[in-house]
Amino acid sequence: MKFDAIAPGIYPELVYPPYKSTTHRGPTQPLLRVDAPVPVSQNIAPKSRILLPNDADLTAQGEAAPLGEKIVVTGRIVDEDGKPVRNSLLEVWQCNAAGRYRHKKDQHDAPLDPNFNGWGKMMTDDDGRYRLITIKPGPYPWGNHDKAWRPAHIHFSLFGNVYAQRLVTQMYFPNDPLFAYDPIFQSIPDEAARQRLISRFSIEETVSDQMLGYEFDIVLRGRDATPFGI
Amino acid sequence: MSNITTSQTIGPFSHEAWKWATDMTPAADGITISGIIYDGAGVPINDAQIEAWQPAAAKAEAEAAIPGFRRVPSGEDGGFSFQLSKVDPAPGEPVAYITVFARGLVKHQFTAVFLADDAGLSQSAILDQVPSARRATLLADRNADGSYRWDIHMQGDRETVFFDYE
Repeated sequence: MKFDAIAPGIYPELVYPPYKSTTHRGPTQPLLRVDAPVPVSQNIAPKSRILLPNDADLTAQGEAAPLGEKIVVTGRIVDEDGKPVRNSLLEVWQCNAAGRYRHKKDQHDAPLDPNFNGWGKMMTDDDGRYRLITIKPGPYPWGNHDKAWRPAHIHFSLFGNVYAQRLVTQMYFPNDPLFAYDPIFQSIPDEAARQRLISRFSIEETVSDQMLGYEFDIVLRGRDATPFGI
Repeated sequence: MSNITTSQTIGPFSHEAWKWATDMTPAADGITISGIIYDGAGVPINDAQIEAWQPAAAKAEAEAAIPGFRRVPSGEDGGFSFQLSKVDPAPGEPVAYITVFARGLVKHQFTAVFLADDAGLSQSAILDQVPSARRATLLADRNADGSYRWDIHMQGDRETVFFDYE
């Protein structure tokens, strides 16, 4: 696979002072473009036994249904040529409907839900598709500045089909009033790149009277680099 | 203009969700690499996740859930440690490819670690592309007990070389 250099503005700014902790953590040297055959042709290969029952249904991991708005999120993962990223590991994690993560360092004064962990994983199918059932996460405060509240989001961690496709990102929900005030979202200079992180409401994916549907497609880096004559 | 999906930080709350893979780490009796991950002010980063991939271990770890893969969170002191299988990489290849994630790091960073006493270093096509003054940031030094020490610096004079693969 071939990985074209990414135009400035598509990735977030590594040092973006409104997001305070980037100041000392974002590398300041330009990334070194390297020709390395292994990361662009091979990958980490998890066995299917890593998948546990209900890993793709975050509402079914407790004794009873979690509180909140049950939703289904689905989409296709493709590469820059539009080819499906098949049989590829995808992890998700999120806070609960009240905006609280099951994590010892989350100090937000909102209740944990005994029936909601907020994490899962799955593999894409032959069409690059994934489908995840969960609870719509709530917004939460994070202390970066006065009235700093994160827009509701689900974290995605993707392994791709080759190592260099690895991606961690966040999926947002349409029309969130917090976008304009969120330095994490705003650290991405390119407007279109920001918009691509926002899922679409889908009446087609909505399941009768059970749950609303959202679509979130993902394009990983990398093109098929079949040389001429092959 | 590329239509790729952009990156966002892993944030501070990845640990519970990522733990399943940390627990998959085989208890190897092999090459131990330990270090501390520092920010640009010299402060240890206590919420990083480090992933190490050792392609050469695929065969030796064929029965593992994720052969050749290690995922370790940094501790409160910024420390991390992972054990790799004792297999020789192809000459010039890193002992492991590394991916770094952290709160405040809006895009994961790729790097690689080589063993400073690896006789194959001079043949490394990857190291050959790294300016000589910065190569040491990718080298793990051997400790007296046979383990290796490798720190990660996100910024500063010793900023680790981070890659963008072609």
